[in-house]
Amino acid sequence: MTIRLFSLALALLGCFPLAGMAQDIPRSANGTPDMQGIWQAQTQSAVNLEDHVARVDVHAGQSVVAGGSIPYQDWALARRQENFANRGELDPLNKCFLPGTPRIMAMPWPFQIFQTDKHVAITFEWTQVYRLIYTAGQEPLYPGFEHWMGDSRGRWEGDTLVVEIRDLNDRTWMDAAGNFHSAAAVITERYTLQNANTIRYQATIDDPEVFTEPWTISYPLARQSELTRLLEYQCQAEVEEANGEFEPEENLWYPAPVPEENFPFDTQASTSLRLPDVPADIERRNGGNPDISGYFMSSPSGANYGLEKRENFDIFPPAGGVVVDPIDGVLPYQTWARQEMLERREPWRGYDDPTAHCFVAGIPRSHYVPSPFYILQPPGYVIILHERMSYRVIPLDGREHLPDSIRLWMGDAVGHWEGDTLVVESSNYNGKAWLNELGDVTSHAQTVVETYTPVSDNQIIYRATVSDPIAYSRPWTIEMPLNQAQEELLEVACLEDNNDLPHLKDVRDEHRASLNQEN
Amino acid sequence: MRIVPIIVISALLSSGHALAHHSFSAEFDSEKPITLSGKITRMQWSNPHGWIYIDVANEDGTVTNWALETRAANSLIRRGWRRDDLPAGTPIVVNGFEARNGTPTANIQSITLEDGRNFMSGNADEVPD
Repeated sequence: MTIRLFSLALALLGCFPLAGMAQDIPRSANGTPDMQGIWQAQTQSAVNLEDHVARVDVHAGQSVVAGGSIPYQDWALARRQENFANRGELDPLNKCFLPGTPRIMAMPWPFQIFQTDKHVAITFEWTQVYRLIYTAGQEPLYPGFEHWMGDSRGRWEGDTLVVEIRDLNDRTWMDAAGNFHSAAAVITERYTLQNANTIRYQATIDDPEVFTEPWTISYPLARQSELTRLLEYQCQAEVEEANGEFEPEENLWYPAPVPEENFPFDTQASTSLRLPDVPADIERRNGGNPDISGYFMSSPSGANYGLEKRENFDIFPPAGGVVVDPIDGVLPYQTWARQEMLERREPWRGYDDPTAHCFVAGIPRSHYVPSPFYILQPPGYVIILHERMSYRVIPLDGREHLPDSIRLWMGDAVGHWEGDTLVVESSNYNGKAWLNELGDVTSHAQTVVETYTPVSDNQIIYRATVSDPIAYSRPWTIEMPLNQAQEELLEVACLEDNNDLPHLKDVRDEHRASLNQEN
Repeated sequence: MRIVPIIVISALLSSGHALAHHSFSAEFDSEKPITLSGKITRMQWSNPHGWIYIDVANEDGTVTNWALETRAANSLIRRGWRRDDLPAGTPIVVNGFEARNGTPTANIQSITLEDGRNFMSGNADEVPD
């Protein structure tokens, strides 16, 4: 018995080698606390980090600041009061600008945490924002360039994930009450899993330009066990749909029907394309599926300016096109949909392209915007973080798609491995995205099957087969290489400095005025 | 600095490489090429496009501040450019296309500095914008 107890004690020590570790929390394969899952802050501090009373549609809340109040320097306190008085006009979040960190953590939307041995990623339902936290001692490649969300580097201290955020800009607020920091701020977050369903979140703000001393906020993050995935809240898109600036395309957006005059959709018409060969010595994860993680940039042959082969168009050089099925490289458009595409090339339609408004690019466009992206393979998922501030979460558990009534810009993706190829099937699109700047057409009815086949340790062959019975007469497939580089993602804050949109609106409005004059 | 700025003598008007966020032709007119020379008043290191503002002397003696659209700041950073490379007061020569709406705005196809460095060389499909 003594020996048995001794063995049991040894076994327990083996599982939990560090003294003081909580023993009732889930752990990753490498022994660190496993925080993977969907979470949401339990706090009213998105409204005001300090004590605040209720207002219309605003909950009252007690301070989450240690000691109760923020130790502002006198000038900064005066500015905070001015911010508060003019918050409707001045709060950057009212313009749908990136919320910054730590504000994003307290906002009343869920977020999902993913962990690998070298990264922690947090994807937020609010406007497809994500954070990529490097946790393996990687030094930043581009220190000194400011970001709205900051540059996050993490490390494990015992069972606590400690994240240091630097290179923040001075354009965000820390809540809706006007609390702010300068670009000199360094924020240190501490994530401690207290039990399977609670993370204690702390953040210490050190900013000698604004405060008299460092100060700390703290609140719990609660696991959202009933949520199977994040949905979308695309802030600016919702605002512009509501105010009429982003006009609906009733024949493409959900729930547009298949037009009666369409050619019948031939689901069987696809050419059989053999997947590329995968070298036997391809890098693998723990001897299993290929390792496709890292920073990638596609080589898209001008796909963002047209998927088909083309001669010169405006200032664009000739391009070979990326359509590999049909084999003639011509998209099998319905007649009306090709007319729509050609009309979108007119200057006055440029305003209608969602990416000109800084909305997300959708699928498959996100792969050839062109903008780089980062693939991670946390347990049970592949996730793709696009530098143009959007992401995809691809569960590998064979789950059912979302109900038909739930529609998303980026679609609902489910993946699986077929041999050494990652296959991703997606549906539930809202039909609001364009396929590129020249207006190749897609609708809410599209389903997409993508394959990611690693053909070397630094290249993936990407294919996307789009089946869209509203805009096309048969499925079609594009192909392009994704090239890996030893790079890091930077941040694209698009809406925040989008000087172009007023110009595009001028061109559209002038066209409409000329039409009115003719009439 | 990890990457040395690429020194290339003016690879002009090669492609629509400053784009990738909005349609080129929706904002700029390829029938209106323009060459401008002046001194930088301000550089905005922003995404999805950076903006350089320069004062250009007009024939009538007045000065116009032009807004010039560049690649995304991220693209410039990855190509080795840093904030210090384009301080206010730097003289530059710009080739580009004028905006359709008649404002003093242009899309930049190339910028040449006095030392011969070209700010916009390369192909956008290979490097993110």
